[in-house]
Amino acid sequence: MTLEEFREEVRKLKRSNRYPADRSYILPALWIAEKSFPAITHDIMKVIAEELGVRPVEVEEVAEFYAMFHTKPKGKYIIRVCTNLSCMLNKGEELLARFSDLLGISPGETTDDGLFTLEVSECMGLCDGAPAVTVNEERFLKVTPEQVPEILKKFGWKG
Amino acid sequence: MEKLLLRNVDKENSHTIEVYLRSGGYQALRKALKEMSPEDVIEEVKESGLRGRGGAGFPTGLKWEFAAADVKEPKFFVCNADEGEPCTFKDRVIIEKDPHALIEGMLIGAYATGCRYGYIYLRGEYPIGKRILERAIAEAYEKGFLGENILGTDFSFDLYVHSGAGAYICGEETALIDSLEGRRGEPRIKPPFPVNAGYLWQPTVVNNVETLANIPLIVERGGKWYSGIGSPDCPGPKLYAVSGKVKKPGVYELPMGTPLSEIIYEHAGGIVGDRKLKAVFPGGASSSVLTPEEIDVPMDFPSLAKAGTMLGSGAVMVLDETDCIVKTALRLIEFFRHESCGKCVPCREGTDWLVRIVRRIEEGQGTESDLDVILSVSETMENSFCGLGMAAHNPVASTVKKFREEFLRHIKLGRCPFRSG
Ligand SMILES: Cc1cc2nc3c(=O)[nH]c(=O)nc-3n(C[C@H](O)[C@H](O)[C@H](O)COP(=O)(O)O)c2cc1C
Ligand code: SF4
Ligand code: FES
Repeated sequence: MTLEEFREEVRKLKRSNRYPADRSYILPALWIAEKSFPAITHDIMKVIAEELGVRPVEVEEVAEFYAMFHTKPKGKYIIRVCTNLSCMLNKGEELLARFSDLLGISPGETTDDGLFTLEVSECMGLCDGAPAVTVNEERFLKVTPEQVPEILKKFGWKG
Repeated sequence: MEKLLLRNVDKENSHTIEVYLRSGGYQALRKALKEMSPEDVIEEVKESGLRGRGGAGFPTGLKWEFAAADVKEPKFFVCNADEGEPCTFKDRVIIEKDPHALIEGMLIGAYATGCRYGYIYLRGEYPIGKRILERAIAEAYEKGFLGENILGTDFSFDLYVHSGAGAYICGEETALIDSLEGRRGEPRIKPPFPVNAGYLWQPTVVNNVETLANIPLIVERGGKWYSGIGSPDCPGPKLYAVSGKVKKPGVYELPMGTPLSEIIYEHAGGIVGDRKLKAVFPGGASSSVLTPEEIDVPMDFPSLAKAGTMLGSGAVMVLDETDCIVKTALRLIEFFRHESCGKCVPCREGTDWLVRIVRRIEEGQGTESDLDVILSVSETMENSFCGLGMAAHNPVASTVKKFREEFLRHIKLGRCPFRSG
């Protein structure tokens, strides 16, 4: 998506007339950016600010606050490994280590080919399937360390 | 017990409006709009004794009465679908499997309180739920249950999904409103309460997903009928999300006040590998721990409060004898440190201190006096600005009090006794 196309998306969002106050479109606009770009850059924030009539810093503040918005470049696939209590009790940390080993990156990092970003996640509400992993919007439940290569291959890992 | 909240979830395509209508869906809305005044609806909900399922347990009928009494226009009706409390996944089941029950509950609530616009504040971690809800909303518009002049009456209501983006604090109702307004989620001072000054400082009703899923039942069958289910002073069906070391983790619908022991051993199948139960958090990560001797407690708001803990979100987290209590306390307080919004000192500093001290103990570097420091920090955190900080120390303070021996063993051994080597 180009910046101008993005601007058009934000305008379209505003025309939906969902909120009585323009500020409220900030999160939905950031979600479009999150899904359309590798990172939510200052240029993108500026477009949002211009279209919604707020200061760029007000957009930046919001983008930085929420854990699911990436202001630094992320991979094509975000792997989220939950280590909160139910997943921890069911060896979520071992899974995380396995992903980390195979991809050769630490949590928070992105592989050199730009394919994967590995993240430690707080509870994703999938605790009945602990330990839980998601790759973008796909869920993997009751995952064992042995299944990790399979999961990665599904998303183009050559390892 | 007859399934009420989960009556539809096992049906094929339960998320579609066709299946919902075939099961008698939207009949309660019809009844409310055609046969009842808004006051009648509020009276019925008051009589039911329904208390909010989001954690605080506030009487729903009373909340609606306050909102209805406020004359400022427009008013907003918000469904809290942030479900951020660790190990809570009960709302997810309704969102994904019975979204129309939630929408119908909202519609009835909006009619009763005079709200014109509604938002479902959905946590960013539920993208599948988002698609399902948006489709359900589109279906409801198509059939004339949403929009202008619903069912030919002069009641109009528009509804949208607003996605959060990964912040536990946005489950707190005033931080949620900040987030809806396009800000960082930071709790606001109460009063004024959202029912008088919420979204854009207009009257705003905030109700949890599960709370709202009860509403069509109450309108259909009456508040009196509803009040006969479960604990007399805190009635209704309740969704318990059970996870951790049980054989059958999942969401169980049982009458409010079902004993915790029954939930763990009869419904969730007992402990994995038939090991011994070690500890249970009965109401999510914010609740104080219970020992195996304490699990006969009825699972409702007043009984758990009396037992020194809380029902909270109704998330039952179960540990077995092989699990380390210190590590558990550490992981939970790490969560709260990460999610503290930083607005007030007791919570911002308190969570940070607790993480440092508990980590030190877990790594075998702690001293016995650390335990006193934990309890004193914990006391200070009671003075936090919002519920996050007021509860965040519970899992740590309660484990120190009830499993002191295990903390001491870490300190004396100089390592975690549950780790080999
Ligand atoms: C830190 C914190 C987090 C909360 N998270 C949620 C949540 O995820 N979902 C929810 O429904 N209520 C949550 N609440 C409670 C809400 O503030 C509010 O009481 C509730 O949504 C009201 O709805 P109810 O009366 O139907 O329960 C939270 C409260 C606090 C203090
Ligand atoms: S208690 Fe914690 S989350 Fe609540 S306002 Fe204070 S710092 Fe923020
Ligand atoms: S604890 Fe991992 S999904 Fe809930």
